[in-house]
Amino acid sequence: MPKPWNRRGGDRTARETQILGWLFVIPSLIAVAALVLYPMAHGWWQSMNSGGFLFGEKPGYVGLRNYRDVINDPVSREAMAHTLWYVLLAVSLELVLGILVAVTLHRVFRGRGFVLAVLILPWALPSVVSGVLWKRVFDPDNGLLNSLLMQLHVINQPHVWLAAGRGPIVYITLVHVWGVLPLVSLIFLAGLQSIPDEVYSASAVDGAGPWRQFRHITLPLLRPSMAIALTVGTLLAISIFDEIYVLNGTALNTRSILIQVYNTTFAQADFAHGTALAFLLAAITAVLGALYAIALRRSTV
Amino acid sequence: MTSPGWRIAKLVAVLAIIVWSLGPILIGVSTSLSTQREVNAIPTRWVPHHPTLQAYHDLLGGTSNQRAGGTVTEAGTFTRSIYNSAILSAVSTSFILIFATMAAYAVGRLRFRLGGAVLALLVGTMIVPIFVVVVSLFKVLAEPPVGPSLIDTKGGLVLVFIATLTPLATWLLYTQVREMPTEPEEAALIDGCSRWKAFVRIVVPQMSSGIAAVAAIMMLSVWGEFLIPLLLTQTMNAKPVTVQITEYVGKYTTNYPILAAAGVLALIPPALLALALNKRITGMLAGSS
Repeated sequence: MPKPWNRRGGDRTARETQILGWLFVIPSLIAVAALVLYPMAHGWWQSMNSGGFLFGEKPGYVGLRNYRDVINDPVSREAMAHTLWYVLLAVSLELVLGILVAVTLHRVFRGRGFVLAVLILPWALPSVVSGVLWKRVFDPDNGLLNSLLMQLHVINQPHVWLAAGRGPIVYITLVHVWGVLPLVSLIFLAGLQSIPDEVYSASAVDGAGPWRQFRHITLPLLRPSMAIALTVGTLLAISIFDEIYVLNGTALNTRSILIQVYNTTFAQADFAHGTALAFLLAAITAVLGALYAIALRRSTV
Repeated sequence: MTSPGWRIAKLVAVLAIIVWSLGPILIGVSTSLSTQREVNAIPTRWVPHHPTLQAYHDLLGGTSNQRAGGTVTEAGTFTRSIYNSAILSAVSTSFILIFATMAAYAVGRLRFRLGGAVLALLVGTMIVPIFVVVVSLFKVLAEPPVGPSLIDTKGGLVLVFIATLTPLATWLLYTQVREMPTEPEEAALIDGCSRWKAFVRIVVPQMSSGIAAVAAIMMLSVWGEFLIPLLLTQTMNAKPVTVQITEYVGKYTTNYPILAAAGVLALIPPALLALALNKRITGMLAGSS
């Protein structure tokens, strides 16, 4: 629908609008083209060529061979399995806790402003700093978690939290969730605020208690927020890096795909396989993103 | 929901949220005021019996502390990394705000040809994971088409932050532009104001609360960024605090007081910013999701 002033101002204003429009987006477009799109194309080309000097072969086009290599590589596969665990654990914790936090903070009470301000602090801190703050908690020898559990007589001797088994992935996920939960809680809080009060008062007249209201009103009406939280949570967890790097370095038992990309590319100087693995992760991310977008559209209709 | 049971449950939940959010920060502060000996004491001391600023003194003054746990700090290194982070956050955020405000106005108001496609392209790049780009970025920055290598320079990092964060800023401001009343600008245009003047005099002031929130979100993002500077910096010329702080994590043993002191100093600027602008930030995050 043309705006009235475009008509009234005649051709001069219309042309001015077109030119100004382009002038205004050109800086952003140049930045994105030069430092996101071009490196992406460069990386794609890199992932289709052989690793080069390290493997004693001439650089050249090898098609999808690097992709086959990383899919068949046991270490990369393990990193993919770990990443799946990070995503599943993080997203389920964030959804459950996020809804609990939002329901707790939805209604006005004294001190709510303070709690909301405190709530977003973990999100505002660098994830590296989150890792630093939690590191002493999980220290294998004299960590705070160990001494707390020993004082409560849950365990008899210090447990090496970050050393073996699936445990370490759980603790690192916890640190990750600490930083992401504020964002997810805010998404649910916004969702709750969009539910009209009348719906609750009407159901209260019908004799529904708090639990039934939660089951039959709150949860179904939060579905769009859940789709958004699921998307945000997945995107952040699938590219988990900082917390792992600080808490356990590039150790094999907690290695995510991105840590594996880092290790392949920079420790082993194998750009070809590193970028191939990165693009593989990007493809998975894109597929998940598309699925969530469809789910979101369904849940809002 | 006013029965005593629910009220107690709610009180417990509120307390749990406060403890969960502040607990790790308080542990960090407590650790930073301890000595190595107090950290290792059995039974565990959650609060040091003899609080001391020794860790901060060592971290900033650069005392070699090998005896205590293998961390060597050099005078001025940590302060330099904080300075780098501050410059990177301020400069990147300024450019991002200028670019994103113009782009958001253009695609949200000007309705120029292909405006929708431009918005789709910008938002589309938000889905591109940074790690797909960061590996190749190294090569692109090391051999730019003109000029010397941009690796290990603050200028190079600023360029990367602009490119990776402008799309998000544009999207956040775009949602705000769409909700703003158009009447003030229309009135100015009818009075003979040019589009540019109307933008600078009327629209930008109208957007100011959104711009403030986005500025805060961008500063926090740049301050907290780790992977990009980890790969693109080598020396204290550009190394930000997030990368420097990992140097204090020992391979086998960690000097917890020094590490915690570094963490506390690195979290003060973002924490203050988040507390000062928390209503605007929460409003923007919740509103545009």
